Amino acid sequence: MDVTPRYLGAGSFLSRRDPRVLLLVPVLYLVAVAGIDDLRAVLLCTAVALVYYRAAGIPWRGVRANWVFMLTITTILVVVNSILTSAETRVDGNAEVLFTAPITHTAITWTTLSYASTILVRYISLAMVGFPVAFNIAPSDLGVAFARLGLSQRLAYGVDLTFRFLPSTWASLHETVDAQRIRGYEHSRSRNPVKKLLALRPVVIPLTVNALMDAEDTVNAMDLRGFGGRHRTWMRELAFDRIDRLILAGFAAMAAVMVTAKILGLTGTVWVP
Amino acid sequence: MSTDATTPREPVLSLSSRTVVFGAVGAALYGVLGLFSFLIPGTQAVTVRPAFALVPFFGKRFGVVAGFFVGLVGNAIIDLISGYGLTYWNWSVANGLVGAVAALIFLYLPPIASEAVRLVVTALGALLATAIGLLFVVTDLWVQSIDLKTVFTLNYLPALLADGIAVVILTPALDAIWEPLSKRTGR
Repeated sequence: MDVTPRYLGAGSFLSRRDPRVLLLVPVLYLVAVAGIDDLRAVLLCTAVALVYYRAAGIPWRGVRANWVFMLTITTILVVVNSILTSAETRVDGNAEVLFTAPITHTAITWTTLSYASTILVRYISLAMVGFPVAFNIAPSDLGVAFARLGLSQRLAYGVDLTFRFLPSTWASLHETVDAQRIRGYEHSRSRNPVKKLLALRPVVIPLTVNALMDAEDTVNAMDLRGFGGRHRTWMRELAFDRIDRLILAGFAAMAAVMVTAKILGLTGTVWVP
Repeated sequence: MSTDATTPREPVLSLSSRTVVFGAVGAALYGVLGLFSFLIPGTQAVTVRPAFALVPFFGKRFGVVAGFFVGLVGNAIIDLISGYGLTYWNWSVANGLVGAVAALIFLYLPPIASEAVRLVVTALGALLATAIGLLFVVTDLWVQSIDLKTVFTLNYLPALLADGIAVVILTPALDAIWEPLSKRTGR
């Protein structure tokens, strides 16, 4: 698995936007789709999310594994929670029972299936607007974007620093595992979670301690360079252009419309075809 | 920290270069190690994430801000790498709160001389912080539009069980190794 931040959408329409747009759009979209039970309304929002995702220009081969992982886990969750166990579903007592789920004996109706589809489509559409955050913001812009959104500049730099540490931490993990293997370390094959955790100590502890010891050098280097002073060389200026404002206004309008529809009770009922 | 009398105590919410760097290191460690998890046999989707033990550890050792940062940013990175995006942002906040609560618990505990007692207290404090911090997932009521029973039976309790196992075993182990190192170097 590759944990290094990947800037896959370089040159695309979304990559040319102010990075703050890419951070704000998922928030507005989440406000728009939260609490909607009507599949038609969610599909409408998903169409907007799809256009947005296409504008990101993320190559399929680059994120195929991410999509497979996301779709697999989400589908399992929805099937288990909304269909098999009815833990997360909407019940209509008068609806015709289509069939009964094996083992759990849950009565499956069109309402159950429609609501499960709504949840699944909502998760997928949220991933569509979330992927550009991961793959269309240049790693060096992430800290600046958070700082320009009002986050403390020191914390924003911390976000920047975290992404810089990821590749070296990943490399250290491999070095630690290799070094411990030479000393006889083996992955635990036990099914007992406690034994598995105990077996991980020879990897987790040296990796953490080494990272902390190295971090002290970084602290000293930053202090020597006057980190936290007024003149911040890493904080470049960001400015919304007309297209950025239009995108944000569009998503804000969609959020406002969907929230109003929710308050009026127009999207709170499960749609049954 | 309560166990290191030689180090001058910083304000609870101080934001020094040390806080920033150790927070970033912790978040990167959590982001990388958090990709590895394993299922508890006999459950539907309860996975133990060993790296979660880092969150209360960083809270205890490096303070409220670093603890919150490790949980929040680390979990967000795992979600971004996995492909969830910001869908489960409230779980990232809950992770952050675990770190912050752990910091507050250990900040106000008196120094403990006995190593065995200190390890037990570390495990219990980390477990308590996990139980309190994860309560934030009750926001799934609005974020995911699910009812309270589902939030507790399918989200909160399985997460508490899985993360609880990890913090009880690994957080004291990490703390036991870091204690002499921090004293030796005056950190």
